Amino acid sequence: MPLLAVKKVVKDYEGVRALNGVSLQVEKGVIKGLIGPNGAGKSTMFHLISGMEKPTSGNIAFRGVDIAGKEPHEISGLGMGRTFQTVQTWGNMTAVENVMVGMHRKLIGGILSCGLWLPWIKREEKEVLREAFGMLEFLGLSAKWKWPAFQLSYGEQKILEIGRALATGPELILLDEPAAGLTPQEVQALAEKIQQIRERGTTIFVVEHHMGMVMEIADEIAVLNHGELIAEGRPEAIRDDPRVIRAYLKGTVYA
Amino acid sequence: MVERIRREFRKRDLCYLGALLLLPLIWPDPHLHHLLVLAGIYAILALGLSLFLGYAGQISLGHAAFFGIGAYTTAILTTRYSVPTFVAFWASAATAAVIAYLIGRPILKLKGYFLALATLGFGEIFLVMVRESRSLTGGVSGIFGIPWFSLAGFSFDTYLKQYYLIWGVLLGLLLFAKNLVRSKVGRASLAVATSEDAASTVGIKVAQVKVGVFVVSAAFAGFAGSLFACVMSTASPEAFGLSLSILIVMMVIVGGMGNLYGPIVAAIFLTWLLDILGGYQEYSLPIYGVILILLLIFFPEGIGTRLGIRLMYLISYRGRKKKREEVQL
Ligand SMILES: Nc1ncnc2c1ncn2[C@@H]1O[C@H](COP(=O)(O)OP(=O)(O)OP(=O)(O)O)[C@@H](O)[C@H]1O
Ligand SMILES: [Mg+2]
Repeated sequence: MPLLAVKKVVKDYEGVRALNGVSLQVEKGVIKGLIGPNGAGKSTMFHLISGMEKPTSGNIAFRGVDIAGKEPHEISGLGMGRTFQTVQTWGNMTAVENVMVGMHRKLIGGILSCGLWLPWIKREEKEVLREAFGMLEFLGLSAKWKWPAFQLSYGEQKILEIGRALATGPELILLDEPAAGLTPQEVQALAEKIQQIRERGTTIFVVEHHMGMVMEIADEIAVLNHGELIAEGRPEAIRDDPRVIRAYLKGTVYA
Repeated sequence: MVERIRREFRKRDLCYLGALLLLPLIWPDPHLHHLLVLAGIYAILALGLSLFLGYAGQISLGHAAFFGIGAYTTAILTTRYSVPTFVAFWASAATAAVIAYLIGRPILKLKGYFLALATLGFGEIFLVMVRESRSLTGGVSGIFGIPWFSLAGFSFDTYLKQYYLIWGVLLGLLLFAKNLVRSKVGRASLAVATSEDAASTVGIKVAQVKVGVFVVSAAFAGFAGSLFACVMSTASPEAFGLSLSILIVMMVIVGGMGNLYGPIVAAIFLTWLLDILGGYQEYSLPIYGVILILLLIFFPEGIGTRLGIRLMYLISYRGRKKKREEVQL
């Protein structure tokens, strides 16, 4: 059973069919890429999978559970994390607090116990702070743990967003263009991080325009064009597929 | 910078506490004591709304209703059923919290202007209900003869005693609020305020967070209402109208969003200002409007985050020293 199975998914916005009967699967433990020209429907696909939008028709199964009608927080609870194409960190919180928000569900305290700062809340908070700091260390952001997130560079905020998603302890993480806006050095570091995340046991589904990076890290790539799946396969096969070249890769420089 | 200011605060908390204790003794003017009592009550209201508006980023234009619910609960329980004021005090907060939960569940699905309208409507409905259910609330004329707050035989029967009572309660609630904002509840509130999408994708139940914070802020208003009833010894509908709701919102905005001390400073400042402007009560709404506009022009982040903290920071010697160090760097 694949970790994620999308079946014949259609998504209509007013007057626009963003996805037209797309089926694809993500196996456990892989890094899967999703590529395609602007407006192909990649982000729409992620919104449907993470529950932020409901599909017009079709179904989506995650770990064998039908999630097409579920709320984002329920899907998160099943073990899925995601990042956004335009970075959505919480600027008025520190870096470490951003990650701690990702651990929200691990904390069992309620409003009264938090307000009274009972001894076990204190312990719980300390524990989560330590864990969140560890996450920042893994991501190479620990030196700036106390910085308000808005003071981090764009690239650092994108990494922080990944950290926040990982803090929920997901089986699968959706990354929407993690390399966009990053310097070449940052892209290289990001590629390594993504591979390390996979080694830690998290499956990765990544939308990316940066062909060099996708070709390097992905085990498998799916290609969307005008809301339809036009190809799926290993990176080498995708690179040479004439339909993909015509729709998308034509003129792409391999960075 | 922000962190350093926060640390500064912690060190100087004791000094402020001392100043609060001594202030009414140094200045034994009953009118001032009365003003400080009112300021303390408004500060409790502003503190509660600050959690909802300043942290969770949600608007409520009906907060005076929870204040009224607290006041009437205490008024009815003490005058009709001879319930001790201390018990009525807790019952008032509980009643406000339960009602906030019941109306919060449906209306907190609304956002922005729609939420503002719905809460405003709630405030008006509360007033109509109070005026119409005469047998319970005494209608337009209200309820008289509410006893002083008393605890274990000690009666808070002067402004001075009430001052200590109310600022004591305020302090307790401030500690509660401070703990809340540094816990997962505060983080989730800020997260929801900035991006509900991002919050929901890390597993936060957005609706639950909003309702939870709404209930807490209503409970604060319930406490404030109960104290208000005991201090004024009467409860009548005109005290809990729209202009008070707007005043509380102003205190939070003027005090600074995402800040607990600012709204308290703003509550004191606005109480004092309203006292000066006392003769012009029929113009209160336009006056609030002008004050709000001026403050937002000159202190767009609120006096709490600009003037208030800046002032306290500069007043202290350590602050000046650090400032100099910074300049040298
Ligand atoms: N909320 C919306 N309302 C209406 N149309 C939308 C909405 N969101 C996306 N679309 C349309 O759906 C199509 C697919 O958009 P989507 O954002 O999924 O593309 P994408 O593949 O992520 O593109 P990019 O590479 O630019 O991020 C586009 O034509 C877009 O205009
Ligand atoms: Mg996109």
